[in-house]
Amino acid sequence: MERDTASALAQPPLLEAVHLTVESGGTKVLRDLSFALPHGRILGLIGESGAGKSMVGRVIANQLPPGFAVSAGSLFFETDDLLALPPDAHRKLLGRRIAFVPQEPMSALNPALTIGQHFAEHLARLEVPKSDRRGVTLEALADMRLASPERVVDQYPFQLSGGMCQRVLLALAFVSKPDLVIADEPTASLDATTQVHIIGLLRNLQSKYGTGVLFITHQLRLAAHLCDDVAVLYAGEIVEYGAAGTVFRRPRHPYSRALEGANPRFAGPWRQLLSPPGHMPGLNELRDLAGCRFAPRCASSTEACLAETPALRVPAENVAVRCIHDNAMPATEPGVVAPVRAVTDAAAVPLLQVDNVFKSFQGSGLFTRRRKNLAINGVSLSIAAGEFVGIVGETGSGKSTLGRIVMGIEKPTAGRILLDGKPIGDSTADWRRRIQSVQLVFQDPRSALNPRRTVMRLVTQPLQATPQLRPDLENRAAVLLEDTGLPADVASRLPSQISGGQCQRVNIARGLCAMPRLLIADEIASGLDVSVQAQILNLLLRLRRENQIALLMISHDLAVIRYLCSRVIVMCRGEIVESGTTEAIFASPQHPYTRELISAVPPEDLSRRWPLPA
Amino acid sequence: MIRKLPKPLDEPRVLIGASALLAIVVVAILAPVLAPHDPNHQDLLQILVPPFWQEGAEAGFPLGTDGLGRCVLSRLIYGARVAVIVGSVVPIGTVLLGTTIAIVAGYFGGKIDWAVSRTVDVWMSFPPVVLSLVLMVGLSPGLRNVILATVLVDWTRFCRVTRGAILGVMKLDYVASARIAGASHVQVMLRDLLPAVFPIIITLFSVEIGIAVVVESVLSFVGVSVSPAIPTWGSMIADGLVTVFQEPWGLAFPVSMIIVTVLGANMLGDGLRVRLDSHHATRLGADL
Repeated sequence: MERDTASALAQPPLLEAVHLTVESGGTKVLRDLSFALPHGRILGLIGESGAGKSMVGRVIANQLPPGFAVSAGSLFFETDDLLALPPDAHRKLLGRRIAFVPQEPMSALNPALTIGQHFAEHLARLEVPKSDRRGVTLEALADMRLASPERVVDQYPFQLSGGMCQRVLLALAFVSKPDLVIADEPTASLDATTQVHIIGLLRNLQSKYGTGVLFITHQLRLAAHLCDDVAVLYAGEIVEYGAAGTVFRRPRHPYSRALEGANPRFAGPWRQLLSPPGHMPGLNELRDLAGCRFAPRCASSTEACLAETPALRVPAENVAVRCIHDNAMPATEPGVVAPVRAVTDAAAVPLLQVDNVFKSFQGSGLFTRRRKNLAINGVSLSIAAGEFVGIVGETGSGKSTLGRIVMGIEKPTAGRILLDGKPIGDSTADWRRRIQSVQLVFQDPRSALNPRRTVMRLVTQPLQATPQLRPDLENRAAVLLEDTGLPADVASRLPSQISGGQCQRVNIARGLCAMPRLLIADEIASGLDVSVQAQILNLLLRLRRENQIALLMISHDLAVIRYLCSRVIVMCRGEIVESGTTEAIFASPQHPYTRELISAVPPEDLSRRWPLPA
Repeated sequence: MIRKLPKPLDEPRVLIGASALLAIVVVAILAPVLAPHDPNHQDLLQILVPPFWQEGAEAGFPLGTDGLGRCVLSRLIYGARVAVIVGSVVPIGTVLLGTTIAIVAGYFGGKIDWAVSRTVDVWMSFPPVVLSLVLMVGLSPGLRNVILATVLVDWTRFCRVTRGAILGVMKLDYVASARIAGASHVQVMLRDLLPAVFPIIITLFSVEIGIAVVVESVLSFVGVSVSPAIPTWGSMIADGLVTVFQEPWGLAFPVSMIIVTVLGANMLGDGLRVRLDSHHATRLGADL
């Protein structure tokens, strides 16, 4: 294997991929991947779903899915080629010198074992004497700043929150003082405020033990703050690789720029998001892509781009780009414009009013005392036609429940919902009136789709209460799929045959099918990649322009709220703690809870230290 | 409803079970052709003739005769008719009754669900055989009443299992999605709930075939089923029991027919369950 003589003379990097290629059925799923992670540094692998970023972790763990195999290149862990290592020796490295932090903290722990038993198992493998195990466990948990390690040790995973579970997994990963930690989207399923803590802990541990971290993420801003170096992946290739600061301040590859242009900012002037046309090529499409894999979606692509695969060039210090075009080419900077805000008539009757709504859930035990659980505590709000209102808050703040109450799926314990100034009752006529005006896009995209209906029948579901001609449904479905950026051929597929992001777009398409006047969107952007997210957000803005649609956006992503909404409502434990115009709230938050939420957003300015040490 | 019906015949259990049941159905239909004798014809000179492989067998009676000199083979063949009718009509009845009540209870929940669940609880606490005996005594013998009694006893099994499955489906958002898309309650139940529990219904249906045959045999054995003029496996067991010490085969043949039927039905149900539960289509190249 060819390796630089210079790097061979110096201390070898902790992890180095050299022309690593993974194939499946003749298709190069990962093509010519080369990167180096020195000891004690953090390398970010950034990309949207389908870019192949998780595949890298799987190669390291020797856990490629069936049908996938490394066909060329090597992957050095210090001086050992992991691909050539005998399975025994490879397995010995895993969990000792190479540790993993998984994406879904809740499902990564065995629900039948206590946290202490998880540690005991792992420590037994590390040959820690039995008498020391509890001490080591407590110490590792204390490192995670868990309030009371002694209690957590004897608890089961389901008794802990997602953030606590992720801390436990971090502790498990670091207990063997590994040299390399692979963190695959460790905060993707967590609240923003929890994410800050986890990221802070990860960085502390990393600097304390001098660990090298391979951080796999789709969040650009997060990677910019956390990582030393980043590699941007597109369709199984590294398209840009360099020092994090350089890549983020001045992205050179058209795809990196497109990602940046599609990412809503939390500071600075409001600008229109731009999303590159098309979508990430799937496994079947990769085979037919000649030349630059990004060329079909690239605004500056030329004939030459399709001719041959571009090599990684080094146009400046600390950065390599896989693009044949000169970087002097002017970036298509998105235009800075005034935010698109609705003009609402203050005197008109609001489209929707929520009038002092309460909701309590109670346990329904026959013999046990019924415990009341107040989910919504006296919430009032109103939305005008064409107004976009955002609700922010953490898990358990009651924002999803509020959305379901407005939709009418949950009944409020007290209070009224008014549509066009008239209260909505329980009658069938009122239900009709409600669902004609209001639609809800559910948070969990898979659960909201009947697994036995095709996408075509799902997106046109609102039309099917009455008999319809099949061509009419097909035409409407085609328009909706195009609007939401779904390829036309998904129409005949079942939900199990499309990706999570595509499921979410099917849900959005269904919500828009009968063109409601108010759309309640419960975390609709959270499972989407930035370029798809930009497309959906712009679609919503277009629908407001064309149809005066109003939006109640439930989200934890403040940048998305800032992009779309003119008003923000902050919810905490079932109550509205603060509300006002987006600009006012985000510029000068009054309530401490709002301030905490805002401080959890990675700042635009890379020179600011984030997350702040606790 | 299920668009991609898997190939259930790949599963050997399905193949064996279905063949066994099909064979019995064919025998029942062709009974007048296949049976060598009138099943009720008594040849009092030829009582307790052993089957053909034993000494003293008669060429005209391949499986011998019973205590009244009736041809065992012919009675087995004609007995399949009642078994087939009961084994096909009873599962349909229990599915219709049990599933309908279960879907309504699971979908509307609240007081309706509570009432249904408690009724099922109480109903199931009666021993099923005793309950059907009591019902038969009240209803007077006859094929129609046998079916009615069995359905009334067995619908609870369907109801309980299906209701549990419906409650699981109700937790998913797609039921609420269908409602806010404008579907009526009936549309939601038929389009979204019924297809979701369809695999369970198929499985329970095939198990119920075996149960129905057994229950009918028990009733025949006691003598409260169809009229004594119609041969059934249950009444053959009763007759065979009287002469079991002189001629054990008169008991063994009908018992083995019941075993074959129940085993076939259970294998079919088991195989279908495996096939229908794992029919999730997978996506190519998911999560690179």
